[in-house]
Amino acid sequence: MAAMDAEAIQELLERRFPDAAELTVEDRTGTGDHFHVTVASAEFDELPLLDQHRRVNEVLADRIADGSIHELRIKTKGTA
Amino acid sequence: MKELRDQIEEVIKEEPVALFMKGTPQMVMCGNSYRALNALHAAKAPVTAVDILPDPRIRQELSELSGWPTIPQVFVKGELVGGADIVEELLESGELERKLDGALGDDRSQEVKVVSLELA
Repeated sequence: MAAMDAEAIQELLERRFPDAAELTVEDRTGTGDHFHVTVASAEFDELPLLDQHRRVNEVLADRIADGSIHELRIKTKGTA
Repeated sequence: MKELRDQIEEVIKEEPVALFMKGTPQMVMCGNSYRALNALHAAKAPVTAVDILPDPRIRQELSELSGWPTIPQVFVKGELVGGADIVEELLESGELERKLDGALGDDRSQEVKVVSLELA
């Protein structure tokens, strides 16, 4: 599967979370398929953790399904 | 033999805590499955583990059912709790243990078992 670079993921997430207070993507292994994503957004305030993660997963769903992202670690935060 | 999807649904519905993972608790095949398993142990959870590796259809059917794309997946009393990141975060905040206390009582068993799905 084609690896992705962290910038491409960052771009996808920025498009989905344009008002994020914090948004970082780290390539954990340097191999373009293990990423650690951190998103802090006001839309996560009051939202259950499961749904926060769902919203991040949704953005990258195709890449997870086709195996180009092998591992996705997610850290979400509200801004309140 | 029951359809694969029905077998998966049955595990989710019937088992107090279901962990869909890569490998088994005896031989964990992925670091994230290991993280989830450890968090459950630390929260004194019983664990019913299902290895998703024997057939790619297991993961496919599971993700369609749960709407969750990655492995591991943890369910408590039929309800998706999340993957490794969430389970670890809930452990650290104490919420995982509270959730288990609420769902299963605080003198729960800590039995670990493995369920193998029947594959056609």
